[in-house]
Amino acid sequence: MLAAILAAGLAVGATYALIGVTYNLMFSASRVMSFTAGQLGMLGGVFGALFIHRLGMPIIPGFILALAACALVGVVTEIVAVRPVLGSLEQHLYVLSTLGLALMIQQFTAIEWSTEPQPFPVLLGFDGGGPLDEKFWLPLVACVVTIAGLEFLYRRTLVGRAFLAIAEDNFAARALGLPERNLRMGSYALAGVVGGLAGFASGELLLAFFANGAMLNFFGFVPVALGGLGNNRGAIIGGIALGVFQQAANFLVGGVFASVAVFAVFIIVLLVRPQGLFGAPATRRV
Amino acid sequence: MPLTRRGFALTAAAAAGFARPAHAQAEPIRIGWLATLTGPLSSPGIGFDRGVRWATEEINAKGGVNGRLIEVITRDTQGEPTKAVNATQEVISRHKVHAIWGPTNSGELLATSPIMARAKVPSLVAGVVNSLIDPDKYPNAFRVTPSNSQWDDAVRNYCMKVVKVKKVAITADATGYGTSAHDDSVAGFKKAGIEVVYSGVIDPAQPDVTPDILRMKNAGADALVSWTVSSGMAARQMNARAALNWDVPIVGHPAMGTGEIGKLVAKPENWDKVYIIGYKSCSFDDKGNLPAKTRAFVDSVKGKIKLDDTSLWWVASGVDGIRLIADAVAKTGSSDSDKIIGYWNTLKEWPGLYGNYSFTPREHNGFNGDDIVMQRANSQRDGAFALAPGYA
Amino acid sequence: MNRAILPYLGLFGAALLLPLFANDYWAVIGARAAVYWVLVGGLNLVVGFGGQLAIGYVALLTLGAYTSAVLCARYGLDPFLSFAAAGVVGAVAGVIVGLPALRLRTFYFAMTTLGFATIVTQIALAWQSVTGGGIGLPGPELPKPFDTPWGFYLFALALAALITWLSANVASSRFGRALVAIRDAEVAAEATGISKPRLLTTVFLFSGAAAGVAGGLFATLQSYITPDAFSFDLSVTFFIAILVGGRGSILGPLIGNIILTLLPEFAAPLVAWSTFLYAALLLAIVLLMPGGIAALLDFSNRKPLTANRAIVPRLDRLRGLLDHGTAQASIVLRNVVLSFGGVRAIDGLDLTVRPGQVHGLIGPNGSGKTTTLNVISGYYEPEQGEAFLGTTPLPHGAPQTRAALGIARTFQTPRLIGEASVLENVMIGATIEGTASFVETMLSLPRHRGDEKRMTAQAMDALAVVGLDGLAPVRADRLQHSELRFMEIARALMLKPAFLLLDEPAAGLSGDEIKRLGELIVAIARNGTGVLLVEHHADLIFDICDHVTVLNLGRELAAGTPGDIRAHKEVVSAYLGA
Repeated sequence: MLAAILAAGLAVGATYALIGVTYNLMFSASRVMSFTAGQLGMLGGVFGALFIHRLGMPIIPGFILALAACALVGVVTEIVAVRPVLGSLEQHLYVLSTLGLALMIQQFTAIEWSTEPQPFPVLLGFDGGGPLDEKFWLPLVACVVTIAGLEFLYRRTLVGRAFLAIAEDNFAARALGLPERNLRMGSYALAGVVGGLAGFASGELLLAFFANGAMLNFFGFVPVALGGLGNNRGAIIGGIALGVFQQAANFLVGGVFASVAVFAVFIIVLLVRPQGLFGAPATRRV
Repeated sequence: MPLTRRGFALTAAAAAGFARPAHAQAEPIRIGWLATLTGPLSSPGIGFDRGVRWATEEINAKGGVNGRLIEVITRDTQGEPTKAVNATQEVISRHKVHAIWGPTNSGELLATSPIMARAKVPSLVAGVVNSLIDPDKYPNAFRVTPSNSQWDDAVRNYCMKVVKVKKVAITADATGYGTSAHDDSVAGFKKAGIEVVYSGVIDPAQPDVTPDILRMKNAGADALVSWTVSSGMAARQMNARAALNWDVPIVGHPAMGTGEIGKLVAKPENWDKVYIIGYKSCSFDDKGNLPAKTRAFVDSVKGKIKLDDTSLWWVASGVDGIRLIADAVAKTGSSDSDKIIGYWNTLKEWPGLYGNYSFTPREHNGFNGDDIVMQRANSQRDGAFALAPGYA
Repeated sequence: MNRAILPYLGLFGAALLLPLFANDYWAVIGARAAVYWVLVGGLNLVVGFGGQLAIGYVALLTLGAYTSAVLCARYGLDPFLSFAAAGVVGAVAGVIVGLPALRLRTFYFAMTTLGFATIVTQIALAWQSVTGGGIGLPGPELPKPFDTPWGFYLFALALAALITWLSANVASSRFGRALVAIRDAEVAAEATGISKPRLLTTVFLFSGAAAGVAGGLFATLQSYITPDAFSFDLSVTFFIAILVGGRGSILGPLIGNIILTLLPEFAAPLVAWSTFLYAALLLAIVLLMPGGIAALLDFSNRKPLTANRAIVPRLDRLRGLLDHGTAQASIVLRNVVLSFGGVRAIDGLDLTVRPGQVHGLIGPNGSGKTTTLNVISGYYEPEQGEAFLGTTPLPHGAPQTRAALGIARTFQTPRLIGEASVLENVMIGATIEGTASFVETMLSLPRHRGDEKRMTAQAMDALAVVGLDGLAPVRADRLQHSELRFMEIARALMLKPAFLLLDEPAAGLSGDEIKRLGELIVAIARNGTGVLLVEHHADLIFDICDHVTVLNLGRELAAGTPGDIRAHKEVVSAYLGA
């Protein structure tokens, strides 16, 4: 029983963690939190099911196409909902514009895809249903691959360093002549890929379901809030902890009280440490 | 086929709402048809809607009732009680309907019933919640589908008499309907002296239900009674049962028989030994035949109504609703609400497609509990199902 | 009569006439619009004025609905009393839902309200013995004559009118202006002494109570409530109604609410797409028309302003404004040290700013001028050293305390509320001078009206002093940069400050304007106010200062009269470059 709870907990936890990374990627490039992070996760599952299951594409091209489609959605987010309101960051218009876009994505999917969860194809064939079923470990693999990929990107590549520079100090980076706008779009595309990967890897577990967007949006945000904004390590630890906690609570106290418990922990931690458990307090500028 | 299904429903709603037959001389019989035609709860509404449209066209093609055509005013409530309240008041006050059919789920009906009662509009109820029917509070409301207690009885009797359970596990999804169905079911089994070894509601978004199923298995349950309308949760339960090599039947809500489940189970055999509530009128016997009346209907609508992606009983019930209203007008020669209500109060074994209905002034639950049977969940053909073991 | 209330009279007058020619269906739709407005009208102060993005307000509607339904159905309470109880519960819950706003960033706050919305529904589902769980329970039934659709409609309409009046009173008061200040210029709001926690708590109480009452009404309107009646879509609709209507307006959101309630009734075939369309509307409004309906209706601000307008301060009116005489105490900094990330921005600074004098603070970029200002006005907390007013220590890191001590300031980049009029911007300066409580304000009692009259007159004086009285009704974001600088000075003067801290007031001004600014500053000092002037324009400093301090690398390089400084060798070689 413990194995079953752990397997499911780690799997959803890894998915939440990846959505948390998606939030962070968008934030570090633009200082903007976007409601579309969870929707990207939902779309990863829906696109995967659409390309591979419904249209019958082979797995690899279907996978690449699904991630590409999510990257495109990421870029669209940047162009439509983020760039126009960057000028007035203080007014927090991005909360509204990304909320609008996220709701549009969700409703469009509900109407044009289905309001019922749709099957996601078995990718590798390890589908016995036990704790070793691929649906439980694929999200973990995706999480590890993402961490390794981001580490490589940030440490070994020029583009990755430019991303870091932008995240560190936007103005200084621009002053250095870095193409800030292109890097921002690149970050959003990358966020789309990571979000899409989260949804794709957890597709067998969460199914291709329009309502996953809002769900992932909230539970993917919790690790960001707990781990500290922009802190990927915090997001991953927080995400996995949340997943295990949630599945254990589901099992121990039942569906209704589990979500109350998750929310209670979330709000208490935030009120005690608004900057998150691993984040540094924000300095103010006058 | 969500795309085509939805497009179909939308045009239906638009056509039924706006197209008034120009040649009708006499005042048409206006029927308010309130259903969830889009959104997550739309499957039953779409099935009902096909029956409603078919029955209306059939009657109007024959010249209507006493020379009066039937005009259906369709409103899509999207499963939202707020929209249902608006729509109910709209068809009553603005379109001055003579009778209302729907809404098709209990959450909406709980809110709209008092409005219909206040306006004294004859209304046909297709919701299971027991409190929807009360001849004192709602003398205008008549239930033409089973009540929750009838469903409960059917499931419990099947578990006791056929499965011969000693210990039962009861689960439901954590929605409004699920929590209430869960409580009623637990109380019913306990009253009947069956040991309830596990009971609990599960968040339908929970990605894996293996731990819950494992607990049921470890508790030694002989059957799993499940009240969920979430296809994802139902399929996950079946998959978890198979993964744990647990060989007990799952018995419960008709939603476990929809085609969506077939797409979501990991292996087709995971859907075996799942028994759902069904109706005699919409069941194949052991030779694979439907009752004669139903077969005639299915044959007559072949190619005109899609049946393989819905439940036949939804369609049949949709037909019966329109016919019950039409019959009342035909027999009394009036569409006054007192006349329609008065006529319905006298019905005894009124032969419908879906069931036979009997009402008295004191009993507005018209559906005969004996017409409820259990069916094999994975046997759907033309919207009908094969009888579960123990009936043949 | 005030022309601004004409549109309200028109709308509510038309609503009163509705029963004469419409059927019961319109009574239900109209009542729905009215009930939603009771919530949206309250929420408008939080979202539209305060800028707190509470997207999950359906939580409070749910609580209110269940409170009144449970009290009526289970305990037989009078329905009207149950509405009152729902208001009380809503107010308390409103504070709980709103509290995170004091500590959390916008997006975080939005997420927590979303969480509350989920939780409340879940609890309603789980707590069956009280709420009826999924089966729900009947809503309160009103007695005659409110038991018919039109009876209830008129009752709801009366409450909608009431909430309009109450929220309009708050909106046009110092509380409303302070809310907008928190939204658009939080730093300036603190400098004028606005306490964000107190203000927001009060407003969350108010809007929570309104939402709770709306919940009770909603339960009656629905006649029966189940958890699935309180969908997130409903919450989003409330929120969007406000933004479509326009932030900082009452009329706009009122119209937005009516449109969003009626729209689905006219667009039945589009019902499946309604949430999508609302979301698209939200996005379009934010990107294309941030002012919403209110901006469309704001005809007066479309008239072009005079192109060649000059700022002509009226120094003669300063005496009436600054009637406090010369202050006694000085601002004293003693051995202040403050560093950012290892760099010492101020490194052991002593400074005394005397009343009635103009004290110049100059130095190269990064020498610590603005940081010094920020220490005095409480934004920064020094690592060592103290700041005093006379002998009283100034509390660090508490900028909202400075206004009450008579210390006012302006900012390097003017901090203004673009969507508010110049007059309102200036009136914000006097927020702490108000005497009427929130309740008195809400009910427009005499003390509140007296406050408003006095503050308006005072603000007109202040505008006359800086030479902007002709622009009083104009929206502030239409002003030129130089005018904004003078507007900020007017706002600071509203405090009748003992000390005025000016952060580069001459930046971006023309030569003429600098000259007038200098005269204005001197006049202010001669009326007894001590002025601390951070400036790069050396000429201005030497022309008007009584005393000058030169900073370099966070330390005092030189201090003395302008004459002393001009003769100071190091200053001349390092900084004045002459």
